[in-house]
Amino acid sequence: MSAVSSSATKAPATSTKVVGFALILAAVVLAACVPFMPNYYVRVLDSILIYVLLGMGLNIVIGYAGLLDLGFVAFYAIGAYTYALLASPMFDLHLPFLVIVLIACVLGAIAGILLGIPVLRLRGDYLAIVTLGFGEIIRVLINNADRVTNGPKGIAAIDRINLFGLTISTPKDIFWLLLVTCILVGIVVWRLQNSILGKAWMAIREDQDAARGIGINTTNAKLAAFSISAVIGSIAGVIFAAFQRFVSPESFTFHESVLIVLIIVIGGVGNILGVIAGAFILILLPELLRDYAEYRMLLLGLLMAVLIIVRPHGLVPRSFTPASLFSWLRFR
Amino acid sequence: MTGLILQQAVNALTIGAIYALIALGYTMVYGVLRLINFAHGEMFMLGAYAALIFVIFLFPHGAGLFGALFIFIGAFIAIGLIGVAIERAAYKPLRHSSRLAPMLSSLGISLALQAAVQLVAGPQPIGFATLFPAIHLQFAGANITTVQIGIILCALLLMFALNRFVSSTRLGINVRAVSENMRTAQLLGIDIDKAISLIFFIGPGLGAIAGILYASYYGVMTPTMGVIVGLKAFTAAILGGIGSIPGAMIGGFVLGFLEVFGTAMLPILTDGYLGTEYRDIFAFAALILVLLFKPSGLLGERVSEETMVYKRDF
Amino acid sequence: MKRTIAGIVAALLLTAGAQAEELGVGAAAPITGPQAYFGTTLQNGMRMYFDEVNAAGGINGNTFVFHGEDDKADPREGTLVAQKFCDDDSIVAVLAHFNSGVALPALPIYSDCGMPQINIASNPAITQQGFEHIVRPIANDFAQAGFPAQYARETLKAEKAAVVHDKQAFGQGVAEIFSDNFTKAGGTVTSTSSVNPTDVDFTALITQLKGQQPDVVYLGAVMPQLALFAKQMKEQGLNARLIVPDGGYTPDLISQAGKDAAQGVLVSFQVPPMDSTEALKKFAADYKAKFGQDVGAYSVYGYVAAQVLGEAVKLAEEPTREGILAVLHDVKFDSALGPIEFTPEGELTTAPIFLYEVKDDGFVLAGKSGS
Repeated sequence: MSAVSSSATKAPATSTKVVGFALILAAVVLAACVPFMPNYYVRVLDSILIYVLLGMGLNIVIGYAGLLDLGFVAFYAIGAYTYALLASPMFDLHLPFLVIVLIACVLGAIAGILLGIPVLRLRGDYLAIVTLGFGEIIRVLINNADRVTNGPKGIAAIDRINLFGLTISTPKDIFWLLLVTCILVGIVVWRLQNSILGKAWMAIREDQDAARGIGINTTNAKLAAFSISAVIGSIAGVIFAAFQRFVSPESFTFHESVLIVLIIVIGGVGNILGVIAGAFILILLPELLRDYAEYRMLLLGLLMAVLIIVRPHGLVPRSFTPASLFSWLRFR
Repeated sequence: MTGLILQQAVNALTIGAIYALIALGYTMVYGVLRLINFAHGEMFMLGAYAALIFVIFLFPHGAGLFGALFIFIGAFIAIGLIGVAIERAAYKPLRHSSRLAPMLSSLGISLALQAAVQLVAGPQPIGFATLFPAIHLQFAGANITTVQIGIILCALLLMFALNRFVSSTRLGINVRAVSENMRTAQLLGIDIDKAISLIFFIGPGLGAIAGILYASYYGVMTPTMGVIVGLKAFTAAILGGIGSIPGAMIGGFVLGFLEVFGTAMLPILTDGYLGTEYRDIFAFAALILVLLFKPSGLLGERVSEETMVYKRDF
Repeated sequence: MKRTIAGIVAALLLTAGAQAEELGVGAAAPITGPQAYFGTTLQNGMRMYFDEVNAAGGINGNTFVFHGEDDKADPREGTLVAQKFCDDDSIVAVLAHFNSGVALPALPIYSDCGMPQINIASNPAITQQGFEHIVRPIANDFAQAGFPAQYARETLKAEKAAVVHDKQAFGQGVAEIFSDNFTKAGGTVTSTSSVNPTDVDFTALITQLKGQQPDVVYLGAVMPQLALFAKQMKEQGLNARLIVPDGGYTPDLISQAGKDAAQGVLVSFQVPPMDSTEALKKFAADYKAKFGQDVGAYSVYGYVAAQVLGEAVKLAEEPTREGILAVLHDVKFDSALGPIEFTPEGELTTAPIFLYEVKDDGFVLAGKSGS
């Protein structure tokens, strides 16, 4: 595989322009339709947006810094349980939403650094296995620390989100909250991608030794990648817990980590639009296949393999980025 | 007390032998392709189901020694061929793409195989009569069955055969050369495709035997049985040093002992504060520690970053 | 089991003018994944009831359309399925879910859309959340594990019990309740250990338990672990009585553990012996004829849950969500599980538990709660 570095200034091809314009139009129309949609569709959209968030977070570690993390679900769980413990009858704490988001961000960042320190020396598959182990360890801890987390029974009756006097609880309310969060996180990630730090990550991805040679502090850059991605995962967890109003260890299995990696790879590694495409495909497909109950997993598995064989670099090409879209819109 | 320790040691050897057989498949594939083959756990599961089919259609009235031998060889060949077919269809087209692609492709295959078996055989656990004569032996206060002895002997025999094969036959040397350095092997005129196919025949074949032994030991099989066992066997492969054949064998036994004695000792050592439920944490923590202090595993060769990253991850 | 009651005849006459229609019924349980076996056998039991009713011309002329969905035992999938049922106006009631962890997040969704819910998950917490749209036609974990503890103390004269569970909501729930009741009755719990739900090898743990010399072992888990544990207890020579919850009430327990090892295992179950009534015998035979496999451990539960809905439709003035919800807690009839009658919370007023002992190739009644 040749090192294709995405350059944001490359003028996209005409077909890309058409596709991009259609996509933006579709997104706007979709968002405009939400108030009139049945709740089931909105709930599916909410699920998709949660995975878009998770995908954007994991993409920082995998797509930009080139570190394969198979335990991302750990941060998702940390966020979800932070909200569940601080806004439920469990300890009878009912902290405001934004305070909990802050606490979850801090905890996520700490967890990210904790995971990051030992794996700094590792690469590739060893890193994948250690992160996988980390994800499992967090899940088993949650499952076993009954006194704190209520163990396998989970935490029920979690508070609804209350933001500036508004109660956010219906799928439609949550959709708007998620949409705003996704856009904010998307902007942050995109800015990061084009910042010095983002360039450092990509240098590490392409060639770690060379990156070190030109004076990049690879240790700090990697830790930054881990902690920023952990914070995003944690935020997704908080919203998930508030939306479900119930958390249990069953929601944070290795399978979930794999699903997030798949979203990135099938969509297109290192590309925000790719993450969105991947989340749509991997969350919508099982829902569309509902009628084939028993064949569902068979079809999904085969489709996964076929998609990867046909397009190993993901469905969305690397050159197709929000940047290229915006530059095209400006020069129209 | 000695009886108790002996008993636990035999338990550990039995499960360790099964882990070791599966770990071999992971390690051999990884050594050549640098691929974590997630579908390997399903080869183990298919082995058990293949044996079930043989028993139902060929030996409905008990297999006997000759029948058991036939089932072992038949399952080895059948699942080996399935392994080769999967490699041709799902991994070969991705041989020159990023490292992540074939890994995720194998994950898709793994899901599909589980679902397919569930559709054909049903989701319920199916009972399986042991292929070994089950006799309980009392020995110094320990209770050992002939099934356990059979499993351990069977696994050791296969490992010995595999070792002989890779160290002293032409084909085996080719395989070793390819896993050492694919490009050089190609320049020297070794048929790479053939060597890779051979690995994808032997690995799943051994996995299938492990599946039959496992089903004989526990007397039950389910479509999802390969998931957790596969993950543990992979852990064993890493412990031993991925890519190293003797490493995988030792890793399997080490993991077996860690698990069994972890279960037994953890509550005693921590005075009941940490129960057996922390066993898996124990296994993963041990793995992480090994990797941090000896990143190449117990027997793996010293892997420098340059050789690790001869292929980009993404 | 068509028992016509004068009241129903009267209701029939009153609603004879009403439009007969097709009523949608939503059902959700794991159909794929490791728990698929439980979900499919459960839903098959439901299908049997609706097919029988439809073949007989429906209830008050209303026939049922069954929508069996897969929730994968995953809480997130469960909420999606719940919302799907809610949005589908043709669906008048749901029979869901199988797992307590899936049922809990789905509760508020059903409540918000006024959906009558007949629930099969057994965690006591489900009916303690203050929701009024739900009934549970099966015994919860309190009943399920309370009686075996009493039986172990009084009938078996057990002094020491070792408790093992699989660290899942159901397994841990029943194990804790067993422990509480056993200690209250003056027994000693020598140890509480947990295993992973995917474990198949308990030899190390059993070897450890041997040293404690318990009189009984209570195992809060599901099949196939129950059978494997029984088998390995025998192999390791741990001579205590094994007591397991309802998942073990299946011929697989005996076939997978081996006849020798299964002898004497006690299984709690809510159904009188399968061969005790003609209805149950017929049910097992019909099931086998229809689906080509033996009746599953939870098939009867599925059938009875469907029956509860049928009875509610009989009582309801209108076969709509509101109509069924209004009479859901008034349902009262004799089912295969015994008399069904609900408390205001939606629990059974009496949930008899039967304790079976494995003898030779079958289950023999050993005791019955409340007797």
